[in-house]
Amino acid sequence: MSQVLHPIEQKILKTLAEKKNLTPEELAGITKLSLDQIRRGIEWLKFKNLASVTESEKTVVTLGKRGSEALQKGLPERQLVNHLKSLDGYSCELDSAKNYLKNEFGPAIANAKKNGWIEIHENRIMLKGYHDVTSEEKIIKIISKIPTGVSADEFEDKDALESLKKRPEFVALSSKKSVLVGLTEQGLEMSKTVPVEIDFTNISETGSDSEVKVARAIDVQASAPPVFAARSHPLRDVIDEVREIFVGLGFSEIIGDNVQSSFWNFDALFTPQDHPAREMQDTFYLKDLTAGTVAKPDQIKKISQEHKKGWNYEWQSQEAKRLVLRTHTTCVTIRALADQKYDEARLFSIGRVFRNEKLSYKHLAEFHQVEGVVTGKNVTLRNLMGLQTEFYHKMGIKKIKFWPTFFPYTEPSLQSMIYNEKLGKWVELFGMGMFRPEVTKPLGIKNPVLAWGGGIERIAMLKFGLEDVRDLYENKFGWLRSVPKCP
Amino acid sequence: MPVVTLYFDRINKILGKKIPKTKIVDTLPFIGLDIEEETDDHINVEYSPNRPDYSTDYGIITGLQGLLEIKLGMPKLKIKTGKNMIKADVSVSKVRPYVTAIEARNGILNDETIRQIITMQEDLHNGLGRRRKKVSIGIHDLDKIKFPLRYTIMAKNHSFVPLESDVSMTVTEILEKTETGKKYGNILAGKDKVPIIIDSAGNTVSFPPIINGKFTEMNNKARNLLVEVTATDKNAAEGVLAVLANALQMAGFQLFSVKITGANNSTASLKPRDLILESDLVNKTLGINISDSLMIKSLKKSRLDAKMKGKKIVCTIPRYRTDIFGVMDLVEEIALGYGIQNLVPTMPESVSAGQRNDITKSLETIRSLMVGLGYTEVMNFELTGKEILYEKTSRDSSKMISVADSKSQEHIILRDLLLPGMMEVLSRNVHESYPQKIFEIGTVFEKNSSIREVIHLACLDAHKDANFTEVKSTLQSLLKTGFNLSCDTIPQKEPMFVDGRTGSIIVSGKKLGTIGEVDHTIADNFKLRTSVSGFEMKLTGLIFD
Repeated sequence: MSQVLHPIEQKILKTLAEKKNLTPEELAGITKLSLDQIRRGIEWLKFKNLASVTESEKTVVTLGKRGSEALQKGLPERQLVNHLKSLDGYSCELDSAKNYLKNEFGPAIANAKKNGWIEIHENRIMLKGYHDVTSEEKIIKIISKIPTGVSADEFEDKDALESLKKRPEFVALSSKKSVLVGLTEQGLEMSKTVPVEIDFTNISETGSDSEVKVARAIDVQASAPPVFAARSHPLRDVIDEVREIFVGLGFSEIIGDNVQSSFWNFDALFTPQDHPAREMQDTFYLKDLTAGTVAKPDQIKKISQEHKKGWNYEWQSQEAKRLVLRTHTTCVTIRALADQKYDEARLFSIGRVFRNEKLSYKHLAEFHQVEGVVTGKNVTLRNLMGLQTEFYHKMGIKKIKFWPTFFPYTEPSLQSMIYNEKLGKWVELFGMGMFRPEVTKPLGIKNPVLAWGGGIERIAMLKFGLEDVRDLYENKFGWLRSVPKCP
Repeated sequence: MPVVTLYFDRINKILGKKIPKTKIVDTLPFIGLDIEEETDDHINVEYSPNRPDYSTDYGIITGLQGLLEIKLGMPKLKIKTGKNMIKADVSVSKVRPYVTAIEARNGILNDETIRQIITMQEDLHNGLGRRRKKVSIGIHDLDKIKFPLRYTIMAKNHSFVPLESDVSMTVTEILEKTETGKKYGNILAGKDKVPIIIDSAGNTVSFPPIINGKFTEMNNKARNLLVEVTATDKNAAEGVLAVLANALQMAGFQLFSVKITGANNSTASLKPRDLILESDLVNKTLGINISDSLMIKSLKKSRLDAKMKGKKIVCTIPRYRTDIFGVMDLVEEIALGYGIQNLVPTMPESVSAGQRNDITKSLETIRSLMVGLGYTEVMNFELTGKEILYEKTSRDSSKMISVADSKSQEHIILRDLLLPGMMEVLSRNVHESYPQKIFEIGTVFEKNSSIREVIHLACLDAHKDANFTEVKSTLQSLLKTGFNLSCDTIPQKEPMFVDGRTGSIIVSGKKLGTIGEVDHTIADNFKLRTSVSGFEMKLTGLIFD
């Protein structure tokens, strides 16, 4: 293995090989590197599995509020001993000691007795012979020297620490997180390869290389900071992919307005004026605006006659003039067919469509739809299924089946089901059918018309594994920057 | 779409042959039903409202019998001549002109049958009945009624005990206080008098299209039923009656006609009709080549009757199939009977060269240039809310274009500018790393005498040093590299931008948009803590028309 180590890494390896486990602060102290450099070095070594870091939480003991007072004057029991020492006969009345020690009298007597320093006889306190420094006093002395505190583990006399903890404010305890860095087995091996003299030339304070005259080897395995590629929107990519497939299948793109008259959105498609789909709770109508001329007089006349014949009601031209946000792209394709009178054509349109829906994880009020139409003398339902199958194959979808369904303006009508490998189930995708004679005849369209299409967001959801369709329009950078162009 | 619950034990009883559960579940989609939910004992299916006969398990089982070849051909309604009568007064013709009815006798109702009938009634009300406006149905316990019935109109102080009530109420009270009165009362708005069906003892049988009288309430003890249908359209009324009659006959009832007279009303015949079909059309449309006899069998599997007459097929369609308009509907029936799974997909013979639209091509060019300049594309809704579009951006809302009755306040106004929605995108991303550079290409809406749809391009730079110069560089580079165009920016005031750091974008002498540094108060409204600059311009009229 020819792994290149940064001088910082070399230094840390060498130090840890000698001293085993150290904290980053200790490492900084020993190596004379900055704490920043040490931290960076540890991250690099960790990434290469040469060093391991264990995090631990320990209890740290520092002097409490009354700690320094205890240090100067001694703990209450020591004060009592010192007081007694200064008296003749090394004894005094309880009341006089009480007077001297005030509030500390109680603990002083209790602890001095516990330590075996005094005896009490008929209201007199007598000092006994031995009054060595106690563990409690030792603890206070030790922690007074280290302002950052001492780990509770370092004291051997745990009982003494416990009893000090119970006494008011001589010591304070806090918990402190610390990390210990050690070498892994590989790290220990690697440390043997570190040269005695580590070359620190061209290493600046911050650890980055500056003005390197001779290209020193760098760590090519280290990770680089992220940059984010600017990109088109993932949904746009799906739209483009769909468009490319349609073009590849010989379809030419047409575009039309989002705002349409009800005539082209509904009436021309044999949807009766009292049909529930035309109600405001399903469709967006523009407020206070109506269309002027919706279609050629002949088209209007024939469509209204067809409605009268098929649905047996009085067709209202005013109703046909209401402006809607198109509920499908079929209004664009049917109008092109009606106006251009193609004998033969393959057309498609991709665009936004609108439904008055409350937004949810599976419904949007506005989404993209693609629709393709084929007209020709000899086109058949099987051709429609063939085109659909070819489209799915180009999208990478292999398992397809067809079921009958209903659309108001096609007959026969089918829906396609595709098998989604990720979900492990059949999913309903595009719908299709042949335009009804009630649609084509009044508009003067002579040859049969195959039509097929569906929502693009649904394909995008499957492609990107989304469970909430709203995510496509959130434009969250976290998603835009992470979702692959080719998932 | 409406849903029907099918219990497997009922299916097996009614179907007439023991069929494995999986076979039933696999067949249902091929009569046009979507499976919603499947459990051990039942399955919920959605049906298209064009097939009201699928509004009960009886109708669905009729379809299954055909495709599974248990029963072929049209189910025939056996209607005996009844002795009862409904007479319509001339006065109803201006309120709700049509009435029709049928008797269903000697049947047994269990709770599930009643549930099926009631959901069918609701589905028919909503679908063919157009939420009761066009057609409404009343089903009654026949034995409570004293014939003949009279269909008439009455003043709103007429009172009776309505269904789900114990006390007598006036028509006015029913319209104001009962649930159905409140829901459907608007159908009778502006009418002084309302339609009432009353029996010869003076009891109110029904107040269509609102509610039935209590005294004829159907329960599981009823053996004889009266089904009455009132409507604004005679044809629709009889279609609905036929659907009900067919289901009740399958449920074991015997049907008897009810004589209807008066004011252009007549007794419903519910007779099937014939349509003549040329087998050529079938083969040509479906792209197959099957024999006449296979076509006839396929029609029978779709529960229609068919026979050859010379070289043509005469198809007989039961009255309840209101969805069949003409021969193309029969082609579909043959496709279903033949089996959609038997149609092999094939590509059309003709070939043609496809192409993208010219506008699409231009937009793709602009998109790739903007990405090359370091901007990430965002996509927002065209339908947005007042707060983002006008309030947070301090913009003039006098030419606002709203839609009626949106279900959400955030999707009620058509955008006239892209930038507000893009500011909202930045607002949603304040926790992500900067710089953030975004662009959007999309349709915006201009209102003058009519509505015009225009395609805009907008971009925003957000980072601590974002400024006018940076976005002007972007704009210049885009126009130069993309279209060899140059632009001028002339000082301008605009509420979204900082005074003195805002300009109009002028290309070839036309004002196409605005460029500038976004005002800090505006940025603050979107909770942005960084500098933002950007521009928005029309592409329609510059790059394409």
